[in-house]
Amino acid sequence: MFKLFGGFFAGVLAVAVLAYVFMGSLMFREIESPFGVEETVARIQHNIQKVGNGWALSGLRNPGKAVEASGGNVLPVMMIEACSTDYSAPILKNDSVRFLSILMPCKVSVYKKNDGKTYIGMMNAGLMGKMFGPMVGEVMGKVAEDQAKFVQFDPNEPAPPMIRSAPSGGSGGAGASAPGGC
Amino acid sequence: MNMTSISNTMLAICVAIAMQVAGPATAADKAPGTSPQANAAGKVSTADHGKFPELDRPFKTGPEVTQACLICHTEAAQQVQHTKHWTWLSTDPKTGQVRGKKNIINNYCTSVVSNEKDCMACHAGYGWKDQTFDFSVQKNVDCLVCHDGTGTYRKLPGYAGHPVYKRVEFPHGSGKFVEPVDLRKVAQSIQLPSRSNCGSCHFFGGGANGAKHGDMDSSLQHPGRYLDVHMDEKGLNFSCTTCHATKRHEVSGSRYNMMASRSGEAGIRGNADADPASCQACHGNKPHHQARLDQHTERIACQTCHIPEFARNDIGTELSWDWSKATIMGPDGKRMVRKDSAGRRAFDSQKGEWKWESHVIPEYRWFNGTSTYKVIGDKIDPSKPVQLSVVGGGADDPESRIWPTKVHRGKQPYDTVNMTLTVQHTGGEDATALWHNYDWQKAIGTGMNAAGLPYSGKFDFVETELTWPITHMVAPKQDALSCEQCHSKNGRLKDIEGIYMPARDGSRWLDIVGWALALLTLIGVVVHGAIRVVNSRKAG
Repeated sequence: MFKLFGGFFAGVLAVAVLAYVFMGSLMFREIESPFGVEETVARIQHNIQKVGNGWALSGLRNPGKAVEASGGNVLPVMMIEACSTDYSAPILKNDSVRFLSILMPCKVSVYKKNDGKTYIGMMNAGLMGKMFGPMVGEVMGKVAEDQAKFVQFDPNEPAPPMIRSAPSGGSGGAGASAPGGC
Repeated sequence: MNMTSISNTMLAICVAIAMQVAGPATAADKAPGTSPQANAAGKVSTADHGKFPELDRPFKTGPEVTQACLICHTEAAQQVQHTKHWTWLSTDPKTGQVRGKKNIINNYCTSVVSNEKDCMACHAGYGWKDQTFDFSVQKNVDCLVCHDGTGTYRKLPGYAGHPVYKRVEFPHGSGKFVEPVDLRKVAQSIQLPSRSNCGSCHFFGGGANGAKHGDMDSSLQHPGRYLDVHMDEKGLNFSCTTCHATKRHEVSGSRYNMMASRSGEAGIRGNADADPASCQACHGNKPHHQARLDQHTERIACQTCHIPEFARNDIGTELSWDWSKATIMGPDGKRMVRKDSAGRRAFDSQKGEWKWESHVIPEYRWFNGTSTYKVIGDKIDPSKPVQLSVVGGGADDPESRIWPTKVHRGKQPYDTVNMTLTVQHTGGEDATALWHNYDWQKAIGTGMNAAGLPYSGKFDFVETELTWPITHMVAPKQDALSCEQCHSKNGRLKDIEGIYMPARDGSRWLDIVGWALALLTLIGVVVHGAIRVVNSRKAG
């Protein structure tokens, strides 16, 4: 009996440790971009506009600007915000999962690291969605499929211009004036 | 060089012309809290140039203004004429090599020769349009480019250093117009050089904002603390001349003759003759109050840790210029222009292709203060990238420190028979100007002829590299490099040779011996423990 419970708890402990160690890399993805920060941002923005399924840009944030304003420096980081009402509406209509609005709009982060290379950071929408029931899992699965298209680049295409604010003139962020806001 | 580029590059020259008196400054140039009579450096002058009758009259040309200046400032012009802002020459005191914009060849706009009418938009003078320019004429010294306090004095490419005297369309065909300068107003606004004066050339070198050096661009006109702790507009608010102090119009500090290392105490405090154009002049060589950090100054330049990245803004800096793509026209056979994602120049049929980047992580080199430049006519080896400027020094040179640098890479034409980089005539509306007729042969022929060099008639393109030490855009101390950014296998200094760096370097055999000792210790502990357990069971 002791061996049985001991083995069970040891297994639970091992799973917990593994989950703790790998949770971060499972919930979020980081990939290297072949382009600079601005070009990566611009290409993702244009991919988002092309992918369909109701996706629209809702903002472009630069968290580094706030650090600069306080007198400090960070390597460049830009956050592209986009939303699809096709996907957000079912979640926002359901009281039991409406708290997931905290994940909206969908964000793709583009940043430079100390190795001089540009990276793209994204939430693993597919995996995260499965934690909140079948409806959210299905929606987030579709989001994950579209996310993969956001970061498919054609190097033969010339660099598009970066879209610095939402098409409506919104200052970045999913404000009421931004049509791409959720 | 393109019109904008040259016109922009020009004003920097001006710092040299620091006069003894100052007049009213514009609001934009004034430090907060200074009086209307304060100049850009925050000093209050005893003279108001707006009250001088010599300046209260209409002027038709720049030289007329200079003649009026010289009535009082009798020695100013001949002082300026001894500076590199006038001669565009600089002699290396160690090697004797004569450099300067007049002699070197770079991988931006390549050479001023045969392009003087454009390039001299950044000359502190009037009328240098070809090789016949008389460098002894005092009235051709341009006082205003460095001392204008109105911010309205502007020299455009194509006018051989003269400002605009009548309304002109600029750039040609753009539908935008530049109004003629009010020389009386400018002459009455004289001030010590402000960041804007110096920056009107030095921020725009290489043909665009931030293109050339990477640690100087227009963001330094009104910088925040994050960008430069010394120039922070709301803080110390240094102007360029605070460090680049001027004596007899000779501006201290130059990338041609840099001070790569300096030992001892701070020299500038209480010593008016000391050269302040180095960090150590004010901070000394042991500024950290921490022995381990201070020890680093024996091998590391201050800039290496305190300028962790340059071009720390959205402007960015140019990292490459590929001239081999010039003359490629659009599908309609006309000039094609393309910008990059951030809105910076990326391609132009006239000039080729560029690559830009912001927040650039420097490339690190040993540097002893001496850079060797390729000058016009030097032989090259096209089988490898041609080094247009090489920072001297090495680990075994006590004068050398590890410096951050910007390396600008290019591809530019060379004579495949004579093995020299070519001089090309780019600007202008004449039949041989590259930007007018897109004909490399004619452009090179004219350029080489103006330079007095033989040209075989055969050319190709060669890769080139130009290395600049980085010294501006000093970050706040909390943003200095952390230990592990260098002391790690793939850290910032991974390519620096000649020194042992803990955590980067190691000895394989020493590591083996160390791990072997650790393993033996572990075995000893386990065996000892096992023996004791066995013995205790036997005893029990």
